[in-house]
Amino acid sequence: MTEVIELAPGASENGLATMLADLLRQNLADKPHKRADFARLAGRVAIVAEDAGVALTLEFDRGRLVVHDGIVGIPDVTVRAPSDDVMAMSLVELTPRRALPDPRGETMRKLWQGMRGDRIHIHGALLHAPLMLRLTRVMSVH
Amino acid sequence: MAHTFPSPEWTAAYKDAVNGNAAYREAGKTWTHGAVAFVVEKDAALGLPDDCAMVLDVNAGECRETHWVARAVAEAEAPFVIVGRYDRWRDVITGKDDPIKSMMQNKLRLVKGHLPTIIRYVESSRQLVKSASAVDSHWLA
Repeated sequence: MTEVIELAPGASENGLATMLADLLRQNLADKPHKRADFARLAGRVAIVAEDAGVALTLEFDRGRLVVHDGIVGIPDVTVRAPSDDVMAMSLVELTPRRALPDPRGETMRKLWQGMRGDRIHIHGALLHAPLMLRLTRVMSVH
Repeated sequence: MAHTFPSPEWTAAYKDAVNGNAAYREAGKTWTHGAVAFVVEKDAALGLPDDCAMVLDVNAGECRETHWVARAVAEAEAPFVIVGRYDRWRDVITGKDDPIKSMMQNKLRLVKGHLPTIIRYVESSRQLVKSASAVDSHWLA
């Protein structure tokens, strides 16, 4: 199956949207084992880089992704974080065997501190844990 | 002595600024992915009739060479090319804007290059741009 990753009208002017679309395309090309996770992703994830004033919605539909400018529809998961932390989400270290976020990793520890404090807010992650886990895997450059 | 940004003289001074940045030397010490080009888009009102570029031959935390070329040359020879308007570059060089945030805002655009590599070296990329603040610069606007 060939993955489809496209930008919704207007999203090409959103730098974060084009970056995430490119990142996911290149990750799937570089690391074909991530394609199984991508094929099972379904749902909407909104990401807001608060200090940059930029928001987007990732609309996954089992092998197809449309990246929208702004928050579109009702997201299953919403991530609100500073731009540095949004970027760091792509650097989450994964465990070697099961590709789970590695709690010992430097990036994961930094993000965890942000979530425990008041820097990073993730709404809906517990209700949609499989969605978040798969998204973390396909977004990570590791 | 202040150098006009952008110009061949400014580009030459940028090499020394990069090599004088200890934070870049540390963040970029494992970078072996080739040159990076910064393209300034044309702006006739500022006397920039064509897109122009600064190519930085960076390797292992060192800037080996810089040169000033036309955009087409930079896109042909550098594996990574970032493009922006004059005022966008001025704002990141003077520290008014953060380079990574500017990319998220589409003020600066990666038009060539492997994004996962840039993300792995995000601090190196930031320091490369921040090094430019050490160049004594004369601004056109």
